[in-house]
Amino acid sequence: MKQLMSGARRRTALIGGAVVVLVAAGLGTWATDTWPFDKDTYCWGAWKEDSGPDFLSSEALEEDNASRTSKETAPTPGRQRGRCTVTIHSERVSGGGEKVVEETEVTVAYGPAPEDAAERMEWIGGYLGGRAMPLPDGLPGATDGNHALLVLPKGCDAPGGRPTAVTLDSTARSVYSDSTMPAGAGLGGSQSVARLLVAVANRGMEKAGCAPAQPLEVVSPLTALPEEDESFFTRACRIRGLDLGEEAKELEYQVGAVTRDLQSCSVRLRRGAGRYFDALMVAQPRLSALFDGATGSRAPARGWRGTGVFADDYKVVRADCAGRPLTALMLAPSTRETTPYFAAFANAVARRLGCASVAPGSATR
Amino acid sequence: MNDSENTQNAEKAENSENAEITRSAEHGTADVSGSATPPHERHRPWWHWRRLTGSRPRLAVTTGVAGAVIGALIGGAGVAWQTGTGPFADDRACWGAFSRDDVAALFGGKRDIETSEVPITSDRIGNEGASGECRLRSPRGRRITVQAHRLDNWFGGSGDRWADEFLSARLTPLGGGLLGMASDTRAWLAVPDGCVGRPNPSDVPNGPTVIDLETGWTVYDDEVDTEARDELARAVVKLVNHYMADLGCTGTIADPVGGMPAPPRFLDEKKDAMCGVKGLPLPGAYQREGRGRPLVTRGDGPVRTCDRGVLFGHPGLRLMTVEDPRLAVLYDGLSRAGAKEPVKAGEGDGRGFVRDEMGMFQAECQTGPVTFLVRADDADRPGDIRTLLTRYVAAEADRIGCGPLRLTLPGAG
Repeated sequence: MKQLMSGARRRTALIGGAVVVLVAAGLGTWATDTWPFDKDTYCWGAWKEDSGPDFLSSEALEEDNASRTSKETAPTPGRQRGRCTVTIHSERVSGGGEKVVEETEVTVAYGPAPEDAAERMEWIGGYLGGRAMPLPDGLPGATDGNHALLVLPKGCDAPGGRPTAVTLDSTARSVYSDSTMPAGAGLGGSQSVARLLVAVANRGMEKAGCAPAQPLEVVSPLTALPEEDESFFTRACRIRGLDLGEEAKELEYQVGAVTRDLQSCSVRLRRGAGRYFDALMVAQPRLSALFDGATGSRAPARGWRGTGVFADDYKVVRADCAGRPLTALMLAPSTRETTPYFAAFANAVARRLGCASVAPGSATR
Repeated sequence: MNDSENTQNAEKAENSENAEITRSAEHGTADVSGSATPPHERHRPWWHWRRLTGSRPRLAVTTGVAGAVIGALIGGAGVAWQTGTGPFADDRACWGAFSRDDVAALFGGKRDIETSEVPITSDRIGNEGASGECRLRSPRGRRITVQAHRLDNWFGGSGDRWADEFLSARLTPLGGGLLGMASDTRAWLAVPDGCVGRPNPSDVPNGPTVIDLETGWTVYDDEVDTEARDELARAVVKLVNHYMADLGCTGTIADPVGGMPAPPRFLDEKKDAMCGVKGLPLPGAYQREGRGRPLVTRGDGPVRTCDRGVLFGHPGLRLMTVEDPRLAVLYDGLSRAGAKEPVKAGEGDGRGFVRDEMGMFQAECQTGPVTFLVRADDADRPGDIRTLLTRYVAAEADRIGCGPLRLTLPGAG
């Protein structure tokens, strides 16, 4: 080689070779999207910038005055509670020269279900009812694309046996000088929310020191909500006994999940005027454990099977159904007499699952 | 598509010709004015390395050109590798879903299978849904047709043939809540809702988009080759997973084979439990030999079908419960069309009709619409159809948790 190349030539060749190597490495980096410089991570390192949904993308920050901040406390083996909030704040000037502030907030909470029974019922209903659908692959949880809940394995139970759960909530709004409009949080839909939730649950369990040998995983696609809300009806959610007659003219219903593990029926006043009632059935054992200690120790009223509580804002009953505890919950303002609807719901659902009636009175029609 | 590619190639070819011409022209001028070229190098052709690296500027140009050429080669190879073309082509069949091994598995290990396909595309306004076709053909005659299509909402019409063959009792549900079934000659699976979006039932009722495979017929109604069935089940899951990935959907359907029950065999029917349905007496005409023994779907799934007297996929008598609302919605049109002689049920329970050769009831259950169907291939025994319909609906509604359902037939007599 020495004979063939002078020092200068060799230098040129070396530089040329180095350029080629650099170009090839750059191409490889670009093609595989593995830039060696760190991306931001959020929620105990569970979510990475640009890892999927819009709210984590770097494009979300390309607008004027946009920033993404996060505040987080990780759970620890000594303290089984954690919280993490990712906030995106951006300002822009609308076509009319008006200043608009966009605010998106995604919050993850790690910890046991609320202690107070009334609070807990509202909490459970909020995540499992309405438009929520169960998570796939047997994961005990549900999501409607904006909120999500996952009950962690037994190893993470709080002392006293209350299960620990991870929840995800999101809010997004556009603030104009004279009004505020709701907006999409950019979570990417139920499929994406399920993955975000499981990622943060795995990381949370690691931090808390109760991670199972195999991390939790979402593989199968989520089932989509089968139907939209319905306002032309007399029988709510196709459930016998939930015949609302004349009152139905002011109401609409939404059927949520209808499986052996979970069923919900939400009846609302039209035009967003609030709740009429929310009925929920839970039979999946780990989801059912969320109710533990809050369903009383005796029958809620005469003639009811199992144990339950009729409180001001909620009614709950738990009875055996084909070897599993079936829990029925109704959330409704105390000003309205909803016991007959609760009885009809509990019995119709028990009958669908092939179990004996829960509430007194005729089980048919 | 091909036309435009050809044009591009032609252009490329022209460009490279031009490039050569330019290069040789430059070379020519270099030769004429080439006082820098040592005499001994003149005998060497222009591409000799000594001539190319003879001077510093030349060396730089050569390095640059070589670098660019190498870069282009690497880049081109990368593109070819990523898109699976050129030397990296994998001979993947059926829209890229099947490798050579997958195809071989469907043909008992044979690798000389011809394939042809029409890509899965939607019509311009999207009202017919996506459709496409792929054919696999062995030189020994066996062939498999794969189709992607949306099920139409008039099952009473042309959809009947699909329901006859693909909802047949020979098929076993894939299980795991999947909307799909498989036998050794047929398999189908719906693309999950979360991916393509569920059609709005209050709009024109539309069915799910399915991918199905068919391989012809066998003469043995109740002898399903389990291995062949499992291969078809795996194949249809591969097809749907690949299609979902193409659409950019997340989620992968797992191999369903482990959870599937054994294929069904002819049922030893009791007189008071036709098709194994308790409380459904077997009509006299069907007790005689020769009217065919019943084959009943095994395992929980989108449908429970009981077929007897099947001839080339067409049952002589079918009793069927369509439990999955995504499929049952397809019978909505039919349940309204037969309203000349509607059957009566409780307010809000559903609607249906009875005719001489068939009766049906579309129930409003907590899970959504459920279809109950009793259908003969002739109108010879209208009395049997009437008796069977009410009792079948009552028994099946109780079984699936949609009871009680008591039907009253029109013009009872």
